[in-house]
Amino acid sequence: MWVTSSVVESTVVFAVLVVLAVWIDLFDLPWWVWVLLVAADVVYTAVVPQWRYLVHRWEVTDTAVYTQTGWWARERRIAPMSRIQTVDLVEGAVARLFGLATVTVTTASAAGALEIAGLDRDVARRLVDDLTVKADAVEGDAT
Amino acid sequence: MSEPELQPEIERDSEWQRLDPRMLLVHPIRELVRFLPGLVLLVLAGSAAGGETWQLAFVAVPVLLGLVRYLTTRFRIGDGRIELQRGLLNRHVLSTPVDRVRTVDLTSSPVHRVLGLTTVRIGTGTAATDEDGLDLDGLPVARARELRAELLRAGPASPAVPGATTPPAPEPPVVEFDPAWLRYAPLTGSGVVIAAAAFGAASQLLNSVGGWDRLDPDRLDAPSLSLGVLVVVVLLVALVVVSLLAVGGYVVTNWGFRLTRVPGSGDWHLTRGLFTTRETTLDVDRVAGVGLSEPLGLRLARGARLSAIVTGLDRKQAGSSLLVPPAPRGVAERVADVVLGTRAPATGPLVPHGPRAVRRRWTRALLPALVPVAAAVVAVALGAPSWVLVSVVLLPIAAALAADRSRSLGHALVDGHLASRSGSLVRRRRVLAVEHVIGWNLRATWWQRRAGLTTLVATTAGGSQAVEVLDVPEDEAVRVAHEAMPQLLAQFVRDGSVVGQGGGAPLR
Repeated sequence: MWVTSSVVESTVVFAVLVVLAVWIDLFDLPWWVWVLLVAADVVYTAVVPQWRYLVHRWEVTDTAVYTQTGWWARERRIAPMSRIQTVDLVEGAVARLFGLATVTVTTASAAGALEIAGLDRDVARRLVDDLTVKADAVEGDAT
Repeated sequence: MSEPELQPEIERDSEWQRLDPRMLLVHPIRELVRFLPGLVLLVLAGSAAGGETWQLAFVAVPVLLGLVRYLTTRFRIGDGRIELQRGLLNRHVLSTPVDRVRTVDLTSSPVHRVLGLTTVRIGTGTAATDEDGLDLDGLPVARARELRAELLRAGPASPAVPGATTPPAPEPPVVEFDPAWLRYAPLTGSGVVIAAAAFGAASQLLNSVGGWDRLDPDRLDAPSLSLGVLVVVVLLVALVVVSLLAVGGYVVTNWGFRLTRVPGSGDWHLTRGLFTTRETTLDVDRVAGVGLSEPLGLRLARGARLSAIVTGLDRKQAGSSLLVPPAPRGVAERVADVVLGTRAPATGPLVPHGPRAVRRRWTRALLPALVPVAAAVVAVALGAPSWVLVSVVLLPIAAALAADRSRSLGHALVDGHLASRSGSLVRRRRVLAVEHVIGWNLRATWWQRRAGLTTLVATTAGGSQAVEVLDVPEDEAVRVAHEAMPQLLAQFVRDGSVVGQGGGAPLR
């Protein structure tokens, strides 16, 4: 999924550049800059998704949810079960193509949302049910 | 509002009721002011067209609008809910449970104050826009105060105090406005903001009258002054004007500032404002921590500003959570200690982050400064004029910044509070009670990982939503988070570091 996303991303960036350059004559780049750009795009699509995949971790215990995401800036997030407010399941267009889904766990803080991307759809569904039951079992208004 | 029985307050409120009839005076005046430009245009156009007076009938429109607004707005408090109904064509019914009320603000504009009225704004901690806010615009002041007491007492956080009908003697204020604080006003950025806004408005006005064209610089007769003197004079005048504006703004918003503790419940009560007075009550259980901020100017004058981190209030409502306006640092620290109930977190010593964090501060400050300097040197070598080398002054500035930033870096976990300090141009010290931490984020870029550093973020439901501890050594970050919430982190800690089990771990 990430490979596809990044292919789409870099293609779009490239296309925008081409359109800007050719159509509006906005800037005039020598040919070697184009070569560099293409190379950067290829490397980006080849390396970053793999890297991302290697970094990605998630874990759910009885009292907490844990995720690790990112490739350059790596972020680990921990939220106690008692502070979970909503559990979202999102299937994007690209993700649907591969039968994947993203689960987002939000807490009362805007800085504390946990995102588990690229889960198998069935696993994601089970995870959502599981989290809902567990979060429901804990007392308090989660703030 | 002088009847002695306070007890049936809630019962009486459970009927639909209107706001105070005196609002019939306030609404038309306000609408009139809002329509004033249009009205003036209409009258001008009318008199130019023939001097008929029928245009005056348009004055009736705002008056009518005010009347309609008064007649269509009703509210009631009953069954544990507050309900507000308003609007003639688009009928709004707002409803919220009483036990979700987090703050109650009383705001009185000058018009309100003349009539002895006030606006009650009920905060529930949602990201409500102005349109959706629960505003009871126009209640008599005494009635509004009773209502506030009732609402906050009904909340779950402050249990009903038996025998609260006879309020105990009010406690002495924790902090009170001191005119000497005015000297800190010019040191904050607010004067510049006000001046910029005023300048913007003025230039727009000039523009619409076509004044810019008439302001021909050649026709200004200041030929006797050289350019340098002129620049200095203009700068001085600007400085004085900006300072005056800052002092004015400070007086208008903070005059009569008073922070007191509500007897009985222990909630915090704030009053401030010169023309428009504002009373805020903060539920003591929702005060998660405090933030002490010292912009450079204030810090040099040993001043500081203190605000509270309140659950359910975000940065946009920062006005509600200001505990001490720019004032001597001693005052701000004393209030912080009182609010937190303990001395150590706000004023005690902090643990520095070690040499690696310091090195990171230096590289981060020096590298961006080096780029233009290097560019300048190359340019001069290639034949550019030598004044370009002036950019070398960037280096000592960057160095000073780096030294100061590494000096202010620090954190502490004492008395159930997490304290963290960072920054130089605006140095901030944030203190957050551990029981209000609702999650931990550990963030590290590739560079940080190489240096063995990480940024520990304690998320919370108020203020800026998180307290950051910048660039702590990894093991120290884990230790702090672990100590704060032992049962939480232990399950993810392996070999002194936080790790997960692996992608797509099976559900248990």
